[in-house]
Amino acid sequence: MGFFGKLFKGPEIDMEKSDANAKKMRLLFNQVVENGDTYQLIFGYTEDVSWFNYGFVHGSKTKIGNLIVGWNEETKTIVVVPTVPDLSGCGDPVYYRRSEIMKAYRNKYPTDAFIIYPDKKAYIGINAYDWLEDEKLYVYVSQEKELAAFTEFFMNQYATK
Amino acid sequence: MFWKEIGGILIFLLVFVIFANIWFHFVESILTAIKKIFCCHKEPPAWHPLPKEDTREDEEDI
Repeated sequence: MGFFGKLFKGPEIDMEKSDANAKKMRLLFNQVVENGDTYQLIFGYTEDVSWFNYGFVHGSKTKIGNLIVGWNEETKTIVVVPTVPDLSGCGDPVYYRRSEIMKAYRNKYPTDAFIIYPDKKAYIGINAYDWLEDEKLYVYVSQEKELAAFTEFFMNQYATK
Repeated sequence: MFWKEIGGILIFLLVFVIFANIWFHFVESILTAIKKIFCCHKEPPAWHPLPKEDTREDEEDI
């Protein structure tokens, strides 16, 4: 392939790095979730946008939270485990069982996200993509098939409307 | 004369951006300090580090 061919092809995914991170995700998930192997996994993230106005300086701040998202088709349960881009550790899991949640749907605007309301007071918006290049902000993992499987599960078995 | 005016405007913008950044971080630090005073009783969330390579290998052997 010539120089211009490479230039227009766009970034290439480092599959070795992606596979290593997928294994780390599995290790972390299984460490904190009982019967973790019964769950399929994808990487997702949350966005927390807040507006500020400090006099003549105003704008918005976005906080990104990385998540390991596991789902079990039999029990219709989604488990969310907070983590960091380098996968050096994770927090406690949060379980969203379909029988216990208030509602769940896929949002298209302003961003494509999977929204779950466990109750009236709180919600979680899970954003997920095939692959995100920025390693400083997101977990470097290629997950085209996994994302398709999660989307299919969410839309056909988990969403409430 | 023309280049001097453009240079002056650019320097003014640069100073303004630097000052705005300092102002932003100054206000942020004050707000963070205030939040710390009121939220100091919160326990930090639990954190589970990734198991080290040698520990993983031992588990696999078992």
